[in-house]
Amino acid sequence: MEIASGPSTDLSAARTIPIDSSSILYEFKQQNLPACKPVLKPSYVITTFLLLGFIFLPIGLTTLCASRTVVEIVDRYDSECVPGAFRGNKVSFIKDSSLPKNCSRILKVRKHMKAPIYIYYQLDNYYQNHRRYVKSRSDQQLLHGLKSSNTGSCEPEESNNGLPVVPCGLIAWSLFNDTYTLIRGTKKLSINRKNIAWKSDRDSKFGKQVYPHNFQNGTLIGGGKLDPNIPLSDQEDLIVWMRTAAFPSFRKLYGRIEEDLKADDVIVVHLMNNYNTYSFGGKKKLVLSTSSWLGGRNDFLGVAYISVGGSSIILSIVFLLFHIKIPR
Amino acid sequence: MKHQLLALAVVCASVICCRVSPKQKALVTRLVKEGTGKTTLAIGDGANDVGMIQEADIGVGISGVEGMQAVMASDFSISQFRFLERLLVVHGHWCYKRIAQMICYFFYKNIAFGLTLFYFEAFTAFSGQSVYNDWYMLLFNVILTSLPVISLGVFEQDVSSEVCLQFPALYQQGPKNLFFDWYRILGWMGNGLYTSLVIFILNIMIFYNQAFRAEGQTADMAAMGATMFSCIITAVNCQIALTMSHFTWIQHLFVWGSVTTWYLFLLLFGMLPPYYSEDAHKILVEALGPAPIYWCTILLVTVACNLPYLAHISFQRCFNPMDHHIIQEIKYYKKDVEDQHMWRRERSKARQETKIGFTARVDAKIRQLKGKLQRRSSTLILPNCMPSPCQ
Repeated sequence: MEIASGPSTDLSAARTIPIDSSSILYEFKQQNLPACKPVLKPSYVITTFLLLGFIFLPIGLTTLCASRTVVEIVDRYDSECVPGAFRGNKVSFIKDSSLPKNCSRILKVRKHMKAPIYIYYQLDNYYQNHRRYVKSRSDQQLLHGLKSSNTGSCEPEESNNGLPVVPCGLIAWSLFNDTYTLIRGTKKLSINRKNIAWKSDRDSKFGKQVYPHNFQNGTLIGGGKLDPNIPLSDQEDLIVWMRTAAFPSFRKLYGRIEEDLKADDVIVVHLMNNYNTYSFGGKKKLVLSTSSWLGGRNDFLGVAYISVGGSSIILSIVFLLFHIKIPR
Repeated sequence: MKHQLLALAVVCASVICCRVSPKQKALVTRLVKEGTGKTTLAIGDGANDVGMIQEADIGVGISGVEGMQAVMASDFSISQFRFLERLLVVHGHWCYKRIAQMICYFFYKNIAFGLTLFYFEAFTAFSGQSVYNDWYMLLFNVILTSLPVISLGVFEQDVSSEVCLQFPALYQQGPKNLFFDWYRILGWMGNGLYTSLVIFILNIMIFYNQAFRAEGQTADMAAMGATMFSCIITAVNCQIALTMSHFTWIQHLFVWGSVTTWYLFLLLFGMLPPYYSEDAHKILVEALGPAPIYWCTILLVTVACNLPYLAHISFQRCFNPMDHHIIQEIKYYKKDVEDQHMWRRERSKARQETKIGFTARVDAKIRQLKGKLQRRSSTLILPNCMPSPCQ
């Protein structure tokens, strides 16, 4: 126990305050808490860099290998699928609903693709992340339908001819509506279009009792129509579309093929080129891709890991050399 | 007249003014403060010192027999005059270091966070859409990165208090402004810029447009934002762990607790119904948690952001160490206990003898030695000469 005394010039009897010097509060106030003070020894530094290198290089190689196993077929079709006569004025072609929009594309499978094979549509130069676009939806209406009156943010796609629109907003209005049919040889490949959206979206964000109402009935058609007999929670195209993408170039899941595709297979794609990306210079692509435990095909993660691991090892070697040459 | 007094006073080792009124005390302080442009400290214990205490840059009051007026007018108050040494050499030194590090780190973390928002605008046609959920941005400076900085500012000690008292020369790091010069400030800002670039570029390249999970889903803005934000939180908190040199249980709790709080928040916020959590509904449990790419990205980005800083401090410490680094190492290796001679030598180097009055002491010594020599020579001459009265 320490005794603290008052000022030594105090003529009266010194005040004694008993202090418990082992209590946590005392140590806290005296800034004397038990602490560890790590010091960067050269051995620690070299070991740390080497360890980082030896952990990152294998991870990089594994992820690179995983990415390399993914087989991907990308086919841009928006410019090719416009008939020659309309190549000079694609916008009028796409807006004319009397003209046939079907188109056939040939895809060659280079390597064996294991099931499930995912079909995506890729859009470029399409700013789904624009602020005004992202705000233009009503989550309450998606869940509760006509009972919800909170649709102010959907302007101007809120009502049509005086009647409310379900689902309202620009995002739903601009629904992507190209369709694809894949044929291998003589047999049509079955595309599974169920379970392409997140389960939490289907369960909690889109109502099971909400049906499309007065949708895409206006003079300006922005995209696809919706079947008014199917509830929103089953309209998986809409659900996938309403998850706004982060970047102007994005892919969205269209469906999946549950069979293998062998190497040198020829796939004929019959697609309906409905969606207008010509007004703003956008691109449309069809993507067939397998997936690995990591996801789709992207070598960047593996390359980045290898780079960081490699530079870490180089740093440790440089440090070791410096330490040997200039000891302290 | 007063300028002549000032000119004389600054060349003296110490000046004593006695029988001065309180007003004159304040005027002398002001004269020194304005005439030399240096930081002045005034210490006093009575009501007559109040003017001087308020005039000086730093006023220290002693609470004692003369009452509490000096204490109430002062910036710092101590109970005994001898505590002034501790106040300056220990607490002043620590305070300078803490504030310098805290401010530099604060700029760093906010630059690292804010610039990613700006980079994203280039991809949204500059429409002003933020990639993060509003709640993430709100909590960034309130809970998720504030507590570690506070613990740095309150508890950081580069050397312990005993060492500060034994090595007064360490205090000079403050007046020389070694820790808050432009080089350091711009260095930290550059670190923040580099961190923001690494976080943004790595995230957009990794999550480009392909699927990010084995089930084939692609990343939308919510997943992208949550991943980028997780990278920021982890990188910034690891950075402060590298900056700190004094780890109590409080620092560990705050730094690692901040990272844990972020994941807890993401988990609990995601459990709220979509009315509250909007895009973040079940994002950790459903989308990001089971995706290996999410965890790989966080690990990669954290290490990539902190590797240059780690290399920099390692090189500096091993090949260009500053004074407190050397003392930290001596303490760490317990060399002060093993090698007493070296410890004493280092300590003596840390105490500078004052140069003013040096020649006066030397002159006095010479006179004393001359006196002794003359007395000895006079006793030697005496047997040869007639005794004569002392000169």
